[in-house]
Amino acid sequence: MTNTPGFERDTTRPLHARVISGAVAAATALSLVASTTAAYAQAVDLSKWSPEYVKSIAGTKDFDAAKDCGAVVPNDYKGRVSYWYTGPFEADPKIAHEMDKAFWEAFRVAYPNIETDVQSITYNELLDKFRTALLGNAAPMVLRLQILGGVEFAAKGYLQPLKPEDVGYTAQDFWPGALKSVTYEGVTYGLPTNNETMALIWNAKVFKDAGLDPESPPKTWDDLVAYSKQITEKLGIPGYGLVAKQNAGNTPFRFMPVMWAYGGGALDEASASPTYKDVWINKEGSKKALQAAYQMYAVDKSAPTSALTNTQGENQAPFIAGKLGMMIAHPAEYAKMNDLASKATGSDKAVADEVVANMRYGLLPTGPDGKRAVVFGGSNIHVVKPEYVEGGKSDEQAVKALICFWDSPEWSTKLAWVGSNPGNVNGFLTSAMKQRLETIKFLDVTTSMLPNGIPFPVIPQAPEIMNIIVPDMLQNALTGTMTVDQAVEDAAQKVQNIVAGGGL
Amino acid sequence: MSTAQGQAIFRDVPASPPKKPHIGQRAWQARADYLYVAPAILVMLIVIAYPIYYTIELSFFNTPANLQLSQKQWTGLSNYTAILSSPVFWKVTWQTLVWTVLSTFFAFVLGLGAALSLHREFVGRAFLRGLLLVPWVVSAVAASYVWKWLYHSDFGAISAMLTAAGLIDKPINFVDNTQTSLYALIVVNIWKEFSFAMIMLMAGLQTVPEQLLRAAQVDGASPWQRFWHVTFPHLSGVSTVTVLLLVVQNFNSFIIPFIMTGGGPVGSTQIWITHIYELAFLRQRWGLGAAYAVLLFLIMMTLGYFYVRALTRGDESRAG
Repeated sequence: MTNTPGFERDTTRPLHARVISGAVAAATALSLVASTTAAYAQAVDLSKWSPEYVKSIAGTKDFDAAKDCGAVVPNDYKGRVSYWYTGPFEADPKIAHEMDKAFWEAFRVAYPNIETDVQSITYNELLDKFRTALLGNAAPMVLRLQILGGVEFAAKGYLQPLKPEDVGYTAQDFWPGALKSVTYEGVTYGLPTNNETMALIWNAKVFKDAGLDPESPPKTWDDLVAYSKQITEKLGIPGYGLVAKQNAGNTPFRFMPVMWAYGGGALDEASASPTYKDVWINKEGSKKALQAAYQMYAVDKSAPTSALTNTQGENQAPFIAGKLGMMIAHPAEYAKMNDLASKATGSDKAVADEVVANMRYGLLPTGPDGKRAVVFGGSNIHVVKPEYVEGGKSDEQAVKALICFWDSPEWSTKLAWVGSNPGNVNGFLTSAMKQRLETIKFLDVTTSMLPNGIPFPVIPQAPEIMNIIVPDMLQNALTGTMTVDQAVEDAAQKVQNIVAGGGL
Repeated sequence: MSTAQGQAIFRDVPASPPKKPHIGQRAWQARADYLYVAPAILVMLIVIAYPIYYTIELSFFNTPANLQLSQKQWTGLSNYTAILSSPVFWKVTWQTLVWTVLSTFFAFVLGLGAALSLHREFVGRAFLRGLLLVPWVVSAVAASYVWKWLYHSDFGAISAMLTAAGLIDKPINFVDNTQTSLYALIVVNIWKEFSFAMIMLMAGLQTVPEQLLRAAQVDGASPWQRFWHVTFPHLSGVSTVTVLLLVVQNFNSFIIPFIMTGGGPVGSTQIWITHIYELAFLRQRWGLGAAYAVLLFLIMMTLGYFYVRALTRGDESRAG
């Protein structure tokens, strides 16, 4: 983020005082930022990431967000910031409300002279409200969106470039995959606030009854296909909860990891330096992934027949009834199953309790060459260009203070308490993270998938590719409307058309 | 020329009609009426006329690669030609026609049957009338989710009952099958809509003169003849209106296909309105979506014209 003519400045103090204090603040900030980021970079080693490593580093370091951010924006700074985000709502657990409340209290203590204008807007309404506000130049200064929500606005030119260094952090403080998700055409337009990945969930009792090792999940996707078949043959229930509904985000979140593991992709999003111009959906790896889905659905019939109209929500009922062997879901799925079990009655209650007791989490399987991949989920924080902000100006220092505070190791951990992980990787060192690992079952497993996270293509057409073309391709193959080869070629043609800007 | 002839001539000349006030005068005389409707007109201009104008305008533009509408590119009629030359459009159009015609026909026939049955006096009539209204009252979203579980291809209640009765040995694939999914959804739509037809036709039945039916009975007319020659002609007006409203409603159906199948499998339950939604809001092809919407708008306006004609039929003669 750079200084912009529209940003508000404090002109009430003499020029020389402002110059001196600015220089002192800048020097202090630089030295502190350099020292803290160096310390962070040494503290978390992403190359060692595993459930054991995550547990071993938790609670080893504490941070003081007020002090650290005070080095970026002085704590006595006087200003105003407006902010929209999806905060906790009625259905969210109590702890989410408590953490949200605690954050705003801590921010007011750290920055008593920054006035905050905060709106918590539901997930479904936020995008539409923001789009409308932009058209009327009535947007907030800062906004938090789900992981790929920002690319549309970056492409349209509404967002201010924002790098980690602008708010006192470095690129090493965030997951590389997460930073990719906020980088559009080489420019970074936001910072990750929280990140999560899914994992493989299985019912150990179903595994045992089907003659499988109840404590060992399938290692590869080929193994998963074989396990699914064995479960169906032995027990007569679906082995794997395939999800292939059209126009549903659940579908790509569960199918793209398979494609990436086999070496495929929609575009080249799984490559080290994606350009989002190469079409990979008809590559050999993509075909193998589609073939695996076809094998389960059409040949072995080991996936639910209802997969074509199922979202993950429809997998929950058969799973809690002990009628489904495996599925892919979030860390919060365990809490959901517990909730379903608590509401069950009679003989259903006994079955549900048994399922919860036999619920296991594991890493997603790998491809044949050991490649493991998962969709990188989470949220990012963005800064709106002043000309689109209500009143036509933005307060750069107040904006930086809020983002620094929100993305501090301490608060990015606490604000992601229930179902996510800190966007700032140093949050894994905090005592809050240790507490979370001790209280949230299987968090260590889902957390350890993070290094395998790949964001969807960071282009504005990504929702169309992921939510429409990928499910269409799956359905074309699974229903036998097209062969696997025809389905991938058809999808490739559609992706080409979309990237070129056309196509019905 | 005698005076008498002159008088006669003057008597034959028709008296000149009273001078009609010109349009400005008439508008001024009705100024209070204009003031009364002005707020409504203003609101309609903002929330109806402007969106229609903007949709028509958008239909002549293409959305650029960055999806920024302010950089939209003029493409003339190419969105319309792209739609009309696309096989997807014709497939969706066929499905929309099947959906609309079958839903309307069966909802009307079932509604007529229910209305005729409930028009008679019998014990429990009021209760049954209330019960049959339930589908119409229930939220379409809730109904869609309930039917989704009734139809479920693995654990559906319908298949479970048929299995328990020994009629089938494995669940029926209602909605995860490209051949049956559209018809399965049509059944849900008919269930949801027939109550509406029933209410309209029950109201219409109140206008059938009882003495005519009795006279026909005395003349030896069979029940069918009484229905066909007395009852049905009296229902023609309300039937036309009901059918037109059902057609409009079915062309605009969105909730049932979107929730139950999302348009799938393989687009087999995609109808015009869900396809427009997908193009405009999920794929952000604003120009294509707008052109599509304009085509639907023209069809709706045509149907609207006939609807208004059906509603006002006889007004002029009564006024005259």
